[in-house]
Amino acid sequence: MNERSDRIIFEEVSKFYGEVLGVNRISFNVPPGVTTLVGPNGSGKTTLMNLLTGLVQPSSGRISVLGLSPSNPAEFFPLVGYCTQFDSFPAGICGYEFVLDSLMLHGMSVADAYSLTAEALDRVQLGDAAGRKIAGYSKGMRQKVRLAQAIAHHPKVLVLDEPLNGLDPMARAESLALFEELGRQGMHLLISSHILDEVDRISDRVILITGGYLVAEGNIQHVRREVRDKPMQVLVRCDHPEMLAAKMFAVNHCVEARLHADGKGVFLRTGDIDQFYTLLNEIAKDGLVKIEAVAPSDDDANAIYQYLIGSDGSAS
Amino acid sequence: MSIYKHSYRAYMGTLTPHWSRIVVLARYALAEAWSSKITIALFTFSMLPAIVYLVGIYLANNPLASALILRGNKTGLSIDAAYFLKMLEGQSWLALAITAWIAPRLITFDLADNALPILLSHPISRFGYVFGKFLALIASLSLVTWIPCLLLFAYQAYSSPQPWTWDHLSIAGGLLTGSLIWIALLSILGLALSSWVKWRVVATGIIFAAVFVPAGVGGIVSAVMRTKWGLLLNLPVMMTEIWQRLLGAPSVMRPRQDLPNQAMATMLVLACLVSVAMLNARVRAREVVRG
Repeated sequence: MNERSDRIIFEEVSKFYGEVLGVNRISFNVPPGVTTLVGPNGSGKTTLMNLLTGLVQPSSGRISVLGLSPSNPAEFFPLVGYCTQFDSFPAGICGYEFVLDSLMLHGMSVADAYSLTAEALDRVQLGDAAGRKIAGYSKGMRQKVRLAQAIAHHPKVLVLDEPLNGLDPMARAESLALFEELGRQGMHLLISSHILDEVDRISDRVILITGGYLVAEGNIQHVRREVRDKPMQVLVRCDHPEMLAAKMFAVNHCVEARLHADGKGVFLRTGDIDQFYTLLNEIAKDGLVKIEAVAPSDDDANAIYQYLIGSDGSAS
Repeated sequence: MSIYKHSYRAYMGTLTPHWSRIVVLARYALAEAWSSKITIALFTFSMLPAIVYLVGIYLANNPLASALILRGNKTGLSIDAAYFLKMLEGQSWLALAITAWIAPRLITFDLADNALPILLSHPISRFGYVFGKFLALIASLSLVTWIPCLLLFAYQAYSSPQPWTWDHLSIAGGLLTGSLIWIALLSILGLALSSWVKWRVVATGIIFAAVFVPAGVGGIVSAVMRTKWGLLLNLPVMMTEIWQRLLGAPSVMRPRQDLPNQAMATMLVLACLVSVAMLNARVRAREVVRG
């Protein structure tokens, strides 16, 4: 075991199901923090997570999680928690028993298992429902108890497959706050989700995958900058948006201007973000326009998904 | 760049031995198996023959009751290896019925519901998962095979004059060994066949078929080719011969029809190996294939 490793490393990992491609030659090196796995349905996200957790074996390539190989569950799973998207539980069991039995399978003593169960159920805020049969749970409650099961044994790596599905807005916010907190504390979180707007707020980096191929990987803002064929969009809040738009159009790199609906800002699209900010500085210094706020409006996971994968799920 | 306080700590407490985690799985499986009223009904029914044999032992060892009920005719109530062989045979076929009901509950549900990704995301191997189910099935089948048989043996030992026990101790060994061979075979066969069938009721039927269809084929082979080797496919006949030899009871086979021990052992090992291969191919975390 490599004690010093704190990385999740994929090296040229491929997985084929017979002749069907799962993922092909995936390589990345992820430090601790929150990483979002983004891709359309059938893109290979779940295969990637199953590979990471050792539930399927790669056809080729090497996987290392904190210096450990997923092929040895006894060493591996004490460090890894996996919240699958499958809605399956042993029959007749209540939420409390489900988490408790999971901890017993992890090898916790009975006393530790009881205290960790209470802690995990408290963290996901399942409340009194923990004592009820899972068969009677709503989809959101099932999601919560699965999450509790995944975090209960204090893993260092948490793999979450569509963890926000079925949660109401309040529960989603609570879950995201929990993920953010765990990420800040130094835990690895790998999250796949279709709710990009919300996951985007807590993500340190993004992995884009489509058709089994890695499309992009890294810090979201950096990935956005690398997408050079799609001019970046910036929202500038100011007192004279029309005048600002006219000034900006005087330079070649500014390709689109669109007034904000409230008339107090303008969306500007530029092919050279560095020159754009330099020019904006000069305009502000000259005092022609009083600028209140400047913010990129398409450097989130959603925009990157649209640009690199497309709304139809095909890589562009 | 944000400065984060990396305060997260993994669990550092002591862990239980790996074998004890398999017991947790076995407990799950037992709860699943015995949550059905049909399981309880089958178990209750399987105790009825044991009660009849208990009464037989009581009558054989109680002169007064024997005189009243059997009127001195004790020819059919000799408590010996043949008596326990009959009991073991009956209990063993009831164990087949229980296996056909329980085994699919233990494994088909998990496979159909995609529960394996959750279960195998723990520090347990696929072997551990199957072994946990296997233990649950062995424990359940023990309740209707060697446990009642040995209890009746103990009762006979208690009721009869002391020399009987020491003279017939091999019967107890045979009951235990014969039962364990049978329930181990049934368990692994039941789990393997269940893992390949999506519908539980169909799995139940297939477990019966796996025992009796080859027996029919073996009978045809024996008749057409005028050979005794077709009996190797006949599990009921083969097991009866194994139990008879283990208990030291008189042979039930026709002359020149008896099978060599090595051949029977090879067939049992082969059946187990095929079952293990079937489980190995089937029991794995569901692989989601893109359509």
